[in-house]
Amino acid sequence: MQIEQRIVGDVAVITVTGDITVGKGGDVILKDKINSLLQQGHRKLLLDLGGVSYVDSAGLGQLVSVHATTTRQGGVLRLLNVTKRLKDLLVVTKLLVVFDAYDNEAEALASFVKPAGV
Amino acid sequence: MPDVKLRVNDPQGRRFVAIDKALFTIGRRTAADLQIISTDVSREHAEIVHDGDQYILRDRGSRYGTFVNGEPVTERALAFGDRIRLGRTDAIELVFQGDEATSGLRETATDINDLRQMAGILNGLRALGSGRVLPEVLTLVMDSALEVTKAERGFVMLANAAGELEFKVARGRGGQTLKGTSFATSEKIPREVFTTGRSRTVSDLMDGSLASVHDGTIAVGIRSVLCVPLRVMSMAQSGSEGVLLPDRVMGVLYLDGRERSTMTSKATVEALEAFATQAAIAIESARLYAEEAEKGRIERDLRVAAEIQRALLAEPAYKGSYCDLAAVSVPCRTVGGDFYDYLELTGGAFAFALGDVAGKGPPAALQAAAVQTNFAALAPVSENPASAMAKINVALLRRAVEARFATMFYGTLEADGKLNYSNAGQEPPILVQSGGRISKLDIGGPVLGLLGYASYELGSLTLEHGDVVVVCSDGVTEARNVAGEEYGGERLVEALGRCHGMKPDAVMDTLMASVRTFVGSAPQADDITTLVIRFTG
Repeated sequence: MQIEQRIVGDVAVITVTGDITVGKGGDVILKDKINSLLQQGHRKLLLDLGGVSYVDSAGLGQLVSVHATTTRQGGVLRLLNVTKRLKDLLVVTKLLVVFDAYDNEAEALASFVKPAGV
Repeated sequence: MPDVKLRVNDPQGRRFVAIDKALFTIGRRTAADLQIISTDVSREHAEIVHDGDQYILRDRGSRYGTFVNGEPVTERALAFGDRIRLGRTDAIELVFQGDEATSGLRETATDINDLRQMAGILNGLRALGSGRVLPEVLTLVMDSALEVTKAERGFVMLANAAGELEFKVARGRGGQTLKGTSFATSEKIPREVFTTGRSRTVSDLMDGSLASVHDGTIAVGIRSVLCVPLRVMSMAQSGSEGVLLPDRVMGVLYLDGRERSTMTSKATVEALEAFATQAAIAIESARLYAEEAEKGRIERDLRVAAEIQRALLAEPAYKGSYCDLAAVSVPCRTVGGDFYDYLELTGGAFAFALGDVAGKGPPAALQAAAVQTNFAALAPVSENPASAMAKINVALLRRAVEARFATMFYGTLEADGKLNYSNAGQEPPILVQSGGRISKLDIGGPVLGLLGYASYELGSLTLEHGDVVVVCSDGVTEARNVAGEEYGGERLVEALGRCHGMKPDAVMDTLMASVRTFVGSAPQADDITTLVIRFTG
């Protein structure tokens, strides 16, 4: 799994490529990345999962966990380009409601301008 | 009379016999001063006569002869260190010894033989595949090396996985265990020997630390150091022949003491090197044995854990007045993160559940046990499956491990066919009704143990006679064949389409056969758990 980040305005866009699985340590890498961004003061995080082929249950747990951590610290974490497979998983586990997900980066970035949920 | 003795090595063992009279007899008969029971020894085999300064060995016309240092003798003045053989083989050997001060170089020769003998013992240990534990072997190696080199103290260092030398055991003469810290100043030489793989003998200014083993006297002088590498040779199979691989240095054997000719003589160094080779093999086998034993212990623990897990599961079959049930759980490792459970509630309803914890192996098994325990405790005191689910979620969150969660389906079936259920993120169970009608039971809420604000809805419907509900863990739908394709929900529905009215175990067989046919020879990648319940009212 690979993680790249870039800053667009005041939003940190994190691009994940590969599998988010416990076997490949992806869950921990993701957690460390988000924690480090939060520590640097970033509060608007957009997680681009378009290049993620597989998320196992541990990876899914970690996604929810980093979302919770971000929210607890007064931040907002949103998802971009969720694959069909991950979406199905989020539907079955009924975790889709947890995340705000977007299929278009411009729309996602715009969503950070106004308060969440508006 | 000076302190003179024979060190006897014979089939009865090793012992010392003092030559404390002017005429000392050796033979098979009981009256002999040294009785040796062997067909090679005559009744009156030989005698040693103390004459002035001399000890003279005489053969008494024995059948198989008397030998000194390999030569046949009829009469010979003995010198300390002489090896006396009785008969045709080396099975019986007597070493003529005086007190240490008078032993001199001859003694060194016998000590080197001792080393070889010890090497033989160690070799034997290895050949036996002995279960001796590592510290015991190390202590044996150290004590043997100290005994024969006359060094005062020594230690063994072994390389760890990272290739760094680690202190293992330090011993002083007389079998005392020393603290590793008393050698703090001596680490340079071991490292050098470990790196170069070559033995070193060094004469060094004695450091203060050595004084402590000299009964508190402040020793000033020269310290002799003898340090040899511990190498293991390994064989590799090349065609039909064994090929000797380059040696690997696994550690060092370090000895030091006050200057003594024995310690630093070329013969001692060479013998100690040979000894070190055998010692290294013995240490390596003890190490491997310990690793195997540890592995065995973990495997035993896992087997016990698997038994406990099986015991936690309810019986795989149930038959009640208005429903019957079959269940199966196959972990992909020894233990797994799936569980199923069922119980009769006091109000008369039949409660059944199936859960799946994220992950596999022991961590998942522990959490599965926690989820199941919460289910068993909270289901009977909850109004319905949805309120039970909310309570279980809260209970799990209280002791949550970050990012760990469980999915679970919980349903209650009543005598009139009323099915209440709540699905917490579980792959939706399939309801098979007459005419092959299929529906999915997906009402409920999110997975358990992640979200404090989660709420759970109640699904409610009425079953007809012969209706079947099949609850699976995701190990079923996500089972993969060798091509990497998933079994998937569509195949599951297809397999269950004709199962209305069938007995639960027959439904189970149909489903498992379908999965097995699809998967083929691909290994099981996830725990597989399935529960089938049929309404018969």
